[in-house]
Amino acid sequence: MTLLEQVGQAAIVRVEEAGALTMQAWSVFRKLPLVLPVVGIRRRWRSAVEQMLAIGASALPMTGIMSLCTGFILALQSASELRKFGALEFVIDLVAIGFTRELGPLITALSVSGRSASAISAEIGTMVATEEIDALRVMGLDPVEFTLAPKYLAALVTLPCLTILSTLCGISAGYMFLAFSMDMSARIYFQAVAEAVVLRDVAFMLVKSLVFATIIVHVGCLEGLRVRGGPEAVGHATTAAVVKSTFLVILADLLATAIFYLMGWSSLR
Amino acid sequence: MSYGTRCVLDRVDLDVYRGETLVLLGGSGSGKSTLLKHVLGLAKPGAGSITINGVDITRCSPSELGAVRRRIGVAFQASALFNSLTVEENVALPLRELTRLADSTIKLVVWMKLIAVGLSDAGSLYPPELSGGMRKRAAVARAMALDPEILILDEPSAGLDPIVSAGLDELILFLKRSFGITILVVTHELESAFRIADRVAMLYQGRLIAVDRKEEFVRNAHPRIRQFLDRQPDAMPRVAAEEFIEAYLRGPKDDN
Repeated sequence: MTLLEQVGQAAIVRVEEAGALTMQAWSVFRKLPLVLPVVGIRRRWRSAVEQMLAIGASALPMTGIMSLCTGFILALQSASELRKFGALEFVIDLVAIGFTRELGPLITALSVSGRSASAISAEIGTMVATEEIDALRVMGLDPVEFTLAPKYLAALVTLPCLTILSTLCGISAGYMFLAFSMDMSARIYFQAVAEAVVLRDVAFMLVKSLVFATIIVHVGCLEGLRVRGGPEAVGHATTAAVVKSTFLVILADLLATAIFYLMGWSSLR
Repeated sequence: MSYGTRCVLDRVDLDVYRGETLVLLGGSGSGKSTLLKHVLGLAKPGAGSITINGVDITRCSPSELGAVRRRIGVAFQASALFNSLTVEENVALPLRELTRLADSTIKLVVWMKLIAVGLSDAGSLYPPELSGGMRKRAAVARAMALDPEILILDEPSAGLDPIVSAGLDELILFLKRSFGITILVVTHELESAFRIADRVAMLYQGRLIAVDRKEEFVRNAHPRIRQFLDRQPDAMPRVAAEEFIEAYLRGPKDDN
C-alpha cells in the first residue's frame, strides 16, 4: 500500500471507531435512568455502587499522591521562574487556577484511565471471549443495561469526586511548598486561593471531569466488546483501551480549553 | 451467510419439530456454531428466514424477539456462567430479571433445578471452583430456569471424560422424558449423539447433507457421512518423488 493508502486506511478506521463510540455512548445514555437509585431497578443501582468502589474508591490513594506531587512540583518550578520577576505572589494563582482548570481533571483522568479503562476492557473482553455477553443476550437481557450503564453511572459520580480531591491535594501541596520555603501562613495562602478561583473555573473543572468519565468508560467498553478471540485478544484490547482513552482525554482537554478561552470565560480578554 | 468472501452456510433448510431431540453433527468448520448463532438470533442470515414458534426472528421487533428468547434455554459450549455470581445466583438470574416471583419462590425453584441436574450441594460455589462437568450441569440448570419449551445445547460433552459425559446424556434424556421439551444439540460426539437423538442432521462445509431419523441416518451412504461415522481420516497427501525434487529445486513460492 502506498503511503496515501495507509494514511487513508488509518483514517477510515479511526472515523469508524469514533462513530461506534458515539452510538455506544448514546445507547448507554438512554439506559441510565434504569440504573438510578429510587427511580431505577434496584439491582442495577447496586451494581453501579460496586463499580463506584472499584473505579473511584480504589483510585483515591494514587490520585491523591499524584496530585500532591504535581502540586509541589508546579509550585516549585513556577516559583523559581517567577522569582526573577519579583512576582512570587502569582505562584498561588498559578497553582490554584492551574489545578482547578487543568491539572485536577487531567491527572485524575489519566490515573483513572490507566486503572479503569484497562480493567473495564479486560472484564468485558473476557466476558465476550467466554460467551457471557451472548448468554445475556439469549436470555433476553441487554448487556448495555446490565453491564455498561452501571459502569458509566459509577464513573459519572466518582470522577468529579476524585477531581475535587485531586485539585484540593494539588493546591494544598502548593501551600506545603510555600510554607516550607518562605514560611507563608495558611491563612494568607488559602485566602489568595479563594480570591483567585472563580465559580466558573470550578464548573469548568466538573464539566471536564464528566467528559473524561464518558471517554474512559466508553473506550474501555468498546475495546472490550470488540474482542475476537482468546486471552491474546483480551490483552491487545486492554492495551488499546488505555492508549486510546489517554489520547482522547488529552484531545478533549485541548478542545475544552480552546472553547473556554474562545468563549471569553477566562479573564484573558 | 458469509464472512467476507467465505461462505459459511449455504442454503441450509432445516425443520425442528416440537418435542423432538435433533442432533446436529458436523466436523470443525462445517458451520455448526454459525448455524447455532443464527438460531439464537445472534447473527443475521444473508438470505432466508428463521422461524421459531411461528415468529420470524430475522424480521421481528426486539420485544417479539425477547418473548421468543424467554421460551428458549441455552447452554453454551464454555458454559458461559457469570463468574462473579455463585451457581445459585446464576440459575436465579433469569428468574429475578424476567419474572416477578418473590425471593423465597425463586430460591425454591433454583433448588429444584439444581437437584434436577445433581448440583444441590454446589449452589454456593463460584464457577471457577467447579469442575468441567459441574459447570456444564450448572449451565443446563440455568438454561432450564424458566422451564423453556426449547433447549439448545452447544457441544455439551466437549472436554468431559466418558463417565461424566454419559451422566450428562442421562440428564438430557431425563429432561426429554419428564418435560417433553424440544432439544437441539450441536455435537461431534457420536456416542452421545445417537443415545439422545430422535433425528440426526449433518452439516458439511456449510451445506446440510442429511436429515434423518437416527436409524436411517446410520445407513446413509453419503461418503462424508460414512467417513464421519466410521472415523476415517482424510487421506494423507502423497507426493511422488519427482514432484518433490522439482518443487525443491524451484524453491519456495514467492509471495508478492
